[in-house]
Amino acid sequence: MRKFVLNYLIPRILQYFLVIFLGVTITFIIPRLSPVDPVEAQINRVMMSGSQVSPDAVISLREALTEMYGLEGSPLQQYFAFWGRLLRGDLGPSLATFPTPVTTLLARAMPWTFGLLMTSILISWIVGNILGALASYYEKNIPIQIVDVLSQAVRPIPYYIMALLLLVFFAYYWPIFPFSGAYPPGTQPNWSLSFALTVIRHSTLPLLSLVLIGVGGWFIGMKSLTSNIISEDYVVYAENAGLRKNRILSQYIMRNAMLPQITGLALQIGLIFSGALIMEVVFGYPGMGTLTFQAVMANDYSLIMGITLLSIIGVATMVLILDFIYPLFDPRVRHQ
Amino acid sequence: MSKYVYSRRAFLAQLGLVTAGGVLAACAAPAGPAAGPAAEAGAGAAPAVGAEVAPGVPRAETLILEDPMGRNITPTDFNRWRPGITTASNGFQQLALDALWYIDPDEGIDGVWDNSLAAEKPIYNEDFSQMTVKLREGIYWSDGVEFTADDLIYTVQVQKDTPGFGFTGQFARYVDSMEKPDDYTVVFNLTEPNSRFHAVFTVRWNACFLMPKHIFEAQPDPLAYTFYPPVSLGAYVLKEHDPNGDWFIWERREDWERTTLARFGMPAPKFAMYVAPGPSDKKVMAQTAGDLDVIHDMAPEGQITLARTNPTSRSWFPSFPWAHPDPTLPAVLYNNERPGLDNRDVRWALTLAIDIVRVAMASYRGAATISAIHVPPTGMYPQYYFEPVQDWLNDFELDLGGGEMYKPYDPEAAVKIADEARKSLGDLVPTDLEEIKKYTGMGWWKRDLEAAEKLMIKAGCSRNSDGKWLLPNGDLFSVALLAEGDTRAVMGRGAAMIVENWVEFGLDATHDTRDNASRNAMELIGDYDAAFGWTIETWGGHPDLFFFLQSWHSDLYAPIGVNANGRNRMRWMHPELDRIIEEIQKLDFDDPKGVELGIEFVKLACVEMPITPIMSYNVFTCCDERYWEGFPTAADPYTNPVPNWANSRYMFVKIRPKA
Repeated sequence: MRKFVLNYLIPRILQYFLVIFLGVTITFIIPRLSPVDPVEAQINRVMMSGSQVSPDAVISLREALTEMYGLEGSPLQQYFAFWGRLLRGDLGPSLATFPTPVTTLLARAMPWTFGLLMTSILISWIVGNILGALASYYEKNIPIQIVDVLSQAVRPIPYYIMALLLLVFFAYYWPIFPFSGAYPPGTQPNWSLSFALTVIRHSTLPLLSLVLIGVGGWFIGMKSLTSNIISEDYVVYAENAGLRKNRILSQYIMRNAMLPQITGLALQIGLIFSGALIMEVVFGYPGMGTLTFQAVMANDYSLIMGITLLSIIGVATMVLILDFIYPLFDPRVRHQ
Repeated sequence: MSKYVYSRRAFLAQLGLVTAGGVLAACAAPAGPAAGPAAEAGAGAAPAVGAEVAPGVPRAETLILEDPMGRNITPTDFNRWRPGITTASNGFQQLALDALWYIDPDEGIDGVWDNSLAAEKPIYNEDFSQMTVKLREGIYWSDGVEFTADDLIYTVQVQKDTPGFGFTGQFARYVDSMEKPDDYTVVFNLTEPNSRFHAVFTVRWNACFLMPKHIFEAQPDPLAYTFYPPVSLGAYVLKEHDPNGDWFIWERREDWERTTLARFGMPAPKFAMYVAPGPSDKKVMAQTAGDLDVIHDMAPEGQITLARTNPTSRSWFPSFPWAHPDPTLPAVLYNNERPGLDNRDVRWALTLAIDIVRVAMASYRGAATISAIHVPPTGMYPQYYFEPVQDWLNDFELDLGGGEMYKPYDPEAAVKIADEARKSLGDLVPTDLEEIKKYTGMGWWKRDLEAAEKLMIKAGCSRNSDGKWLLPNGDLFSVALLAEGDTRAVMGRGAAMIVENWVEFGLDATHDTRDNASRNAMELIGDYDAAFGWTIETWGGHPDLFFFLQSWHSDLYAPIGVNANGRNRMRWMHPELDRIIEEIQKLDFDDPKGVELGIEFVKLACVEMPITPIMSYNVFTCCDERYWEGFPTAADPYTNPVPNWANSRYMFVKIRPKA
């Protein structure tokens, strides 16, 4: 156990923090290399807001905003100040929507994105992997062949087109689902069953659009992985031994093909934090996508940092968890 | 069968049943108040009796409008005086805020100028160093407190004293002191003569709206204060909003008669709902289904679809080009400091290389309102500027070199655009010449590559063996045209066609698409060759050009490498321009001599061509007359229909429920 802790657990956890440190540092630097200045972006919004603004006012506003946004001082001073705030759990105010705290914006958007994207990723992953394995093992089965063709046909459809098609068919011509939003206008989010059902109903089309596109990727990956495994000696042996086909598929083929898929799943879950912009725009669904887009457009350093921080921690944490649970899936890793 | 296999199957089966049950239950759940849009679809369908857009908000009493800001990511921040709020046009500045004066970009509800909170126009002393404001009496905030001079003084003082507000610079620069002779009069003593000081309080799209002193003075930090829930000075109050910022519902005040809008009658809609409807296709579907009364803007194709399929949709013009022309002027901005572009003959050559018919077709499918001169062809400007200079334009000549003179103006350009558009849109495009000129503009510059060639040679340029233009020093003459991307497709398409025109002329031209923030940064610092965008905006209804000319004076000139202080991003200066600006500044806002000086500016800009004017920014605002009628149109231009403009509030007292 001591050997495990010293040789595996502690180095792995140190690596986890190093990844986060480097990720945050790089994210601090990149927006500052951009030609876009958040102060000038804000001034431009004032200038283009359709009122008469004197040039003197622009100079004054530039000075005031630079001070308010904490962009005074050298980049190194800003960097240390940022870490100081971060370690206190303070991501600072959003620059584009000053003085709203970044944490407030993230807390408002994150639950919606997390709920929908996590559900869609898990459904896509489960359905895609099962169908992919079935398509590989039962390649002459007609219904499976149809699913195979459909999956590969849907996969290349641009997401925007797929989302719009679903909307046109199921919200416009045959209006069984709502047109927009995560809940009807006039409804205030609450923790009741009726509200949960309303959200499920409103989320169905966005979910379906993500799942239809997502399934294809997992399907193709799993089919490719299992197609190599079905000719392995141990599979042939199991078939000759008279084991049921479903058992061979689930215990001998899929289990051996799962590792890359589990890695892919962990990485995809980690990327949830930046949201799904097009889905949000098309379906009027709240979430991180709009927030990320607006942050990048305005070069809102603080908000970009907040979102990226979440994403870095999300990916790093999922990879860390994966490292810890790999041995549960694969005895070879446990043995090593 | 092992126990493990059985358990897993049982689990999966149960999971499937629970999931299916949940989804079915959700699907079977009563539809939300705003049922699927197609539920009431059908052209001209009558309002469904009892239909609601939200609990307690009947559809038949609600005007639903698009807020082009989209999702408001800070939906409870209503501090309109701080830069950066996202809630400006969710109904807040249109229905709950008020200002001293409004200038309409069109004809206006009772003339172009409206004394709103002010009882009369600004009163200046002789040298414009003092401005007196007389306020209306009997106007009340929605919490019952009367609006008085104290509110106006506080609005100015708090912004002057608190760096970070949007108007801090203006007030700190120009306001020396304020006096309050009585509760309804404020005298501004200015730091220096300023004949346009009132402009800061005058709404075009927005302005410095008035703050409720009794609310803000109680806040420890007025800059950080979110002003939520907002206390209203307009005819509506915020009823409820989406915590995620996708919709806002405003309700008519019980005491709407104690607001300035009451001068024109009771606002008809009891409720107004501002929504973020999503992309253009979705807006078209929503209006067709009767779920969106006012579309702010959409792709030209969306407008054509509505014109063909939804008989209750009404646009500014009854047919082609439909759109409302904004009082702004998309133009090709040349960086006047760049080699080659610092020569007016070259700038003129590039202008003559542009085929306006193809640009109009590419950007707006022909539904563009073109402008040959440096003011937008919109609002009252055709009368103020375009008609008076037509003869001059027809006679205007360019020196092509070698003593050859050339008349570049083509008065038939708009007709050519209409003819081209008719090929795809057929009868939707008018044939009457007067209508065409009213709708699509009066004329533009000829596309004449031969004349352009002569101008390039006159400027010392030559062609290389590939036929590409070289600068006088022998370097390849390259021009990257900076332009907007998908955020405004019409601008991107127009820029692509201009680049194509230039390439045909032999210019090494490229289309440089950037996001708004990057483009803005590059233009500010002068790190660009040319850009397709904005620098000219006007009042629309009022002829004063100081709105944009103020920052074109050479005193404020910023060379490449220094951020431009205002709109002179093309870095053009001219002694004659300075004289015109200085003379305008000395005049009263309404002095008719201002138009004469404006015409002098127009002529100077034509000669120098620092930027090439292209067309007005046409906004495809489309109103659905299924529930409401009486929207502003070109035939009844009582206000701007574009729903994010603060003066769109006048629409609320003119529209009426559809019988």
